[in-house]
Amino acid sequence: MTTNDLLTVIVTIVLGPLVGGFLFGVDRRLTARLQGRYGPPLAQPFYDFLKLWSKSRIVVNQSQMMYVYGYLAFTITALCLMALRQDLLIIIFVLAFGGISLIMGAFSVKSPYSNFGAQREILQMVAYEPILMLAAVAIYLKTGSFMVSDIFSKLQQPLLFSLPLIFVALLIILTIKMRKSPFDISASTHAHQEIVRGIYTEYSGPYLALIELTHWYELLLVLGIIGLFWATSIWAAAAIALAAFLLEIVVDNIEARMTWSWMIKFVWSTGITLSVVNIAVLYLLR
Amino acid sequence: MEPSAQLVAVATLLPLLAGLICYFLRSSAIRSLTVIVTTVALIAVSLLLLQNGPFEYSPPPVAGLEWNTLITVADMALLVVFLALGLYLRNTLITVLALAQAAIMGYFEFVMGAHVEVKPALFVDELSIIMALVISIVGSLICVYALQYMKDHEHHIQLEGGTRQPRFFFWLVVFLGAMNALVFANNLLWVYFFWEITTLCSFMLIRHDLTKESIANATRALWMNSLGGVAFAAGIVLMYERAHTLSLKELILAGAQPEMVLLPLSLLVFAGFTKAAQMPFQSWLLGAMVAPTPVSALLHSSTMVKAGVYLVVRLAPAYVGTNLSTIVALAGAFTFLLTAVLAISQSNAKRVLAYSTISNLGLIIACAGLNTPLAISAAIMLIVFHAISKALLFLCTGVIEHKIGSRDIEDMEGLISRQPALALITVVGILTMLLPPFAVLISKWAAIEASVRMPAITLFFIVGSAATVVFWVKWVGKLLGAPSGVGRRGGTSLESLYATPLVLLVGMAVVLSAVVAPVVNAIVEHAVMPYYKTAGITAVGVDLSTGVGFITVWPLFLVLMLVVTPAYFFVRVKAEQVRPAYMCGENTAAGPTVQFRTLQDRTEAIVTSGYYFEKALGEKRLNVWANPVAIALLVALVGVVLR
Repeated sequence: MTTNDLLTVIVTIVLGPLVGGFLFGVDRRLTARLQGRYGPPLAQPFYDFLKLWSKSRIVVNQSQMMYVYGYLAFTITALCLMALRQDLLIIIFVLAFGGISLIMGAFSVKSPYSNFGAQREILQMVAYEPILMLAAVAIYLKTGSFMVSDIFSKLQQPLLFSLPLIFVALLIILTIKMRKSPFDISASTHAHQEIVRGIYTEYSGPYLALIELTHWYELLLVLGIIGLFWATSIWAAAAIALAAFLLEIVVDNIEARMTWSWMIKFVWSTGITLSVVNIAVLYLLR
Repeated sequence: MEPSAQLVAVATLLPLLAGLICYFLRSSAIRSLTVIVTTVALIAVSLLLLQNGPFEYSPPPVAGLEWNTLITVADMALLVVFLALGLYLRNTLITVLALAQAAIMGYFEFVMGAHVEVKPALFVDELSIIMALVISIVGSLICVYALQYMKDHEHHIQLEGGTRQPRFFFWLVVFLGAMNALVFANNLLWVYFFWEITTLCSFMLIRHDLTKESIANATRALWMNSLGGVAFAAGIVLMYERAHTLSLKELILAGAQPEMVLLPLSLLVFAGFTKAAQMPFQSWLLGAMVAPTPVSALLHSSTMVKAGVYLVVRLAPAYVGTNLSTIVALAGAFTFLLTAVLAISQSNAKRVLAYSTISNLGLIIACAGLNTPLAISAAIMLIVFHAISKALLFLCTGVIEHKIGSRDIEDMEGLISRQPALALITVVGILTMLLPPFAVLISKWAAIEASVRMPAITLFFIVGSAATVVFWVKWVGKLLGAPSGVGRRGGTSLESLYATPLVLLVGMAVVLSAVVAPVVNAIVEHAVMPYYKTAGITAVGVDLSTGVGFITVWPLFLVLMLVVTPAYFFVRVKAEQVRPAYMCGENTAAGPTVQFRTLQDRTEAIVTSGYYFEKALGEKRLNVWANPVAIALLVALVGVVLR
């Protein structure tokens, strides 16, 4: 690891949550406006975090917090691997480790609510994993490599031009990863849809704060993957990531939560078809 | 006799001797001692083989008799045994298949008059050594575990009329010798002989308990593997007729074989499919779980099914770049996907493990079919790392069954508080099958990166991997789901004959993952390079590169340690920090079962159970079309090279 890499990791770990938290603030505000409310200040996610952090530590069992650490640590690791422009498949696997850690935490408590949430989170994972991996394969067909670095070094043209259908499929699963309606299956942020919050039910105080923090990192990572589709210019990458983010917020507010079976059917039929068609075209034109 | 040849003699003949001792000296103490000594010796021998490296050898005649003659005679005797078994079981199919094999081999020996002299008789390359390591280390540890298990087992089923362990250990230990011999042999006739021995061993072990079900399932295993035996025998005859050699070494060092030779190759691959329980032959391996758990562990990890994939991977250089290769890849990928999905609907732990085995074997075979250096490296890595983790998980399931009296995953709920050590080992075992930075996942990563030259195969891999996550995570969740509270609660300590193999296997699974790059560098690369020029996967320090991708193993381990260490060693939860799980405030006083107040103030226990999707993904629903598709693929396997 060079000094430069180390610096990248430190910057990612420090600045990541600032940007992620700010984006969550934008989300809160925008959602409020769409619902005819004024909304909280942009820094509200940070206030929430600090408040949760200062609460006393309450747990249900001995090992519950370990899974939160795992969720946080592996999500950060995935984001760092992304920042270091590593292997896309490995990034996806490490991200999945984080997700599975969260699921294990929810399962580790004998509680019907968090168990339901955990089962549903597995289903969400099953829905989005194949699409993410297919996207990596499609990118491989363009760059001849799974390394993120090669997307930057080998391409003259943005990926979006040759992988438009893959991009649409990724937008669908972005909704799942951001836990937005209609795919907020395992836990919803909308109180009118869910009172007991599924997979997070048994976490409180500082541990819930860490989960929120992880969401900030996670958001940045998935937006980063979206940004790869216009990697020829850093500003264009940021612009499409931001556009995708805003689109998700709108979708979240005009859609109701759907059932998990509908999610699987929709994501697999539409998402996989889009991806496969795009890959087939690339493969045949190669 | 050169030193390596002595090692081979020990690796193959010592198990036979040990088996005979177990069979004739019926004392339990002698049996335990024999098995433990054999274990230590086999492990030492396999490690020495690794150190000495590849070699070739032809054993000199014994008492004036050529080994070829000895094996031919023994082979004929074995076929007579199969014939007798068919008649004894009154099973027409087995009888006919045994007759067919005898007819083919008889035709070969007496009509074609082929007295094939293959030099060298033993061809031990790096792949053989890797297989010998897996067989000798993982297989032997299972035998040690079996010492304790069979004692408990016979107590458990209240066996009357004296112990049946002598015969059990005879077949169990001989199995290891036959497997070792199989991977050392160069002459296809020899491979065939040991192949049939493993079929016989597994038949005897599956029917060991002599219940109606175990006899029926053993019979099914026998006829399916006899079908493979017929294909193998036919493959040998055609191979000699068309390629004029039965030397594995010649076949695989010559590069892709001419089209003429693809038919015998496809028959041998077909035989590999039956032994590796690929769809539509999965039912024999699923049925094999009626046997005592050590048998399942052995069949699923280091022996039997691994003989099947060994043959397919071994022959891969001979069919590289052909249509046959493509069909092999498709058939393997199909089995990988379908059996992973089928595993989701199962709640019987052994059945989940069985489907997972078949699935992983499918992945290995698909890699052989992809037939690039990287794919073959991935296949070999999977053979090794899958064997370790899967043996571990079967052994865990066996102990759990003895401790809680059930092998149903739903009954394992909260095992982490009832049997902390056992549950922890099981969870780690599952995670080594599933997550980075553990070696099975790294192998799978290599397999996916190798598959991109055929995106259709990649699609099967990707969807199959997603299904894999579902059944493993559900199981882990069950093990972890404990009622609220802190502090160690109960749990009996593990008997040392259980604990030792479990700890060694879990240690191997974790440590080998951490040093996966040096292992690949020192062993796997050398198993692939002689046939493919490059290895496809190369170690860069402690990291691995596939040429199109890269994984840093150590940082991931570091993060894992950062997560686990504080939670286990530093964070101490005080009793006043603990609250019961949320039940809308209707919890009743905490007790051994978690309860809540429901309608009319009745108390009810909280029941949490997993999703199994029986209707959508059950065997009844999927097998209807999956088996015909698998049969079609088998027809294509032979049909594509028919000329």
